[in-house]
Amino acid sequence: MAIHEKSLIEPERLLHHDELVVDGVDVSGHWNTMITPRTLTDYDDDFEAKIQAIPGGENVHRCWQCGSCTNSCTMYAQNVQFNPRYWIYAVRLGLKEEIIKDKDIVWQCVSCNKCTNICPKDVRPEGVMKALAHWMEEEGITEKTPSTIFDEEFTEQIYARGRIEDSHVLMGFYKKTGQSMFQNWLQVFGLRLARHLPVSLGLKFGRNVLMKPRTKSWGRTGEVLQQYVREQKEAAHG
Amino acid sequence: MQDTVLIVGSGPSGLSAAAQVAGAGYKVVMVEKEEVLGGAPILSGYAKLVPSGEWAKDAIGRMVKRVEDDKAVTIHKGTRVTKLDGEPGNFTAKLSNNKQVKAGAVVLATGFTHFDSVNKPEWGFGTFPDVLTSTQMEQMVASGKIACPSDGRVPERVAILLCVGSRDRQIGREWCSKICCTVSANLAIEIKEMSPETDVFIYYMDIRTFGLYEDRFYWKSQEEFKTKFVKARIAEVTASGDGRLLVKGEDTLVKRPIVIPFDMVVHAIGMDPNQDNPEISKVFGVELEKHGFLQKGEQYTNTCGTSRPGVYSCGAAYGPETIDDSIAQGAAAGGRAVMDLTALVRKAG
Repeated sequence: MAIHEKSLIEPERLLHHDELVVDGVDVSGHWNTMITPRTLTDYDDDFEAKIQAIPGGENVHRCWQCGSCTNSCTMYAQNVQFNPRYWIYAVRLGLKEEIIKDKDIVWQCVSCNKCTNICPKDVRPEGVMKALAHWMEEEGITEKTPSTIFDEEFTEQIYARGRIEDSHVLMGFYKKTGQSMFQNWLQVFGLRLARHLPVSLGLKFGRNVLMKPRTKSWGRTGEVLQQYVREQKEAAHG
Repeated sequence: MQDTVLIVGSGPSGLSAAAQVAGAGYKVVMVEKEEVLGGAPILSGYAKLVPSGEWAKDAIGRMVKRVEDDKAVTIHKGTRVTKLDGEPGNFTAKLSNNKQVKAGAVVLATGFTHFDSVNKPEWGFGTFPDVLTSTQMEQMVASGKIACPSDGRVPERVAILLCVGSRDRQIGREWCSKICCTVSANLAIEIKEMSPETDVFIYYMDIRTFGLYEDRFYWKSQEEFKTKFVKARIAEVTASGDGRLLVKGEDTLVKRPIVIPFDMVVHAIGMDPNQDNPEISKVFGVELEKHGFLQKGEQYTNTCGTSRPGVYSCGAAYGPETIDDSIAQGAAAGGRAVMDLTALVRKAG
């Protein structure tokens, strides 16, 4: 029988072909609408450990699903789709797809930490929310946040030069986030700087922008630092 | 005869009652239908006991030895009581070995019968070799190796299903068997200790690890041994076609059906009334309560009593009970029997 009431079913589960012939029988049109099953067919046994390796997620395995976190949650009061208890359960069983479905709201945690204070098993749900947001960013499930992009630009300069040049960080950040350099505040800031900055400082400033100097005796420090950070990350994330 | 107490059954509660009676200076006649003493923990080959963590054969073995070494205790193994006549202070029991016992009081430490998983055929016991009961799993732990019975492989995943033969109106078991949650958490710990690559999942409706079992077993299994607790009552266990088992049900927290592959499924079987209870009721003239366990005499002033004066009971004969509480109740019943006999003697002057 054709399925008429489709609003009750998630759109991605509806299969429909405008034209379809099966074994010589024309079943074009709404005749061939099918629904894929909702059944969960496996757990991802390694997922919990992956989240536990991210700072904040360490205690996720302690959860016994009492629901205190969701009950106390500031965001849940705004949006019942925001359900920390449920995501924690999905982490424990490795139901990744269930979490990815909510990728656009997990990051909305406001870190009020009411959940952390009320949790009888010391799961630290706020930390789990953070760990989940980080995991999704690292996996490319969600786009990098502006703050992550800023951090990356900042760190790259440190590795290369042992110091940052403000204008380069700004330029890099705006370029990578697709924003114009001609920000209103920046123009005002630049004009005032030009007007009031002592000439000697202005020259030094300009030289730094053009020459990109490194910190004295920086040598291979950047390389070593980069290597160390990489090793630490690998150790933490397995 | 007023110096003798007849104790029927030699499990933890019966052994405890016997020690209590003998310790008070009375004589004990112990009648056990099996050929060995110790009751379910010994007969079913339990591994480490909850909550002591001591091996059953050691812990219960000490209780058996204490009673066997006591000169005041006469033991009849492989024997049943076939008839009980008389009144408090003056009972005569006929045994199946044609002997007769005169006793002033009787303690029925007749225990329980493990639920037979065949009565829940949809959960695959008896159909698939890799579906076991918790008593079989206890035996596997005691044997020292965790392996699938079908082909001896180490299981990647084990599912423990709670409330098999408990809390189930469909099969007339309307009681909680009390100990299975804790025993299952303990089994999950033991499985993980012996086979670290095996992941254990416990499918539950509620977790009832009461009292001090909460952190020592439930929390410990979850926090230290990574046991996963899944809120789902399983509908069916079937074969996957590639040598594994499929556990089907509804995960009530995800609100979706699940069909998850497992290598082994363990039924956390409940405690039924002793299957001999109808006969016990007839032979000893005691009433059964509505589930088929022995009826208590009076809840507050005769907690060790039955519906027949002079006949006492204790432990799992009254309903699902832990080993520790069975031992305490056995001591209480033994003490009560001796107390009532003393009163009779005093009254007679």
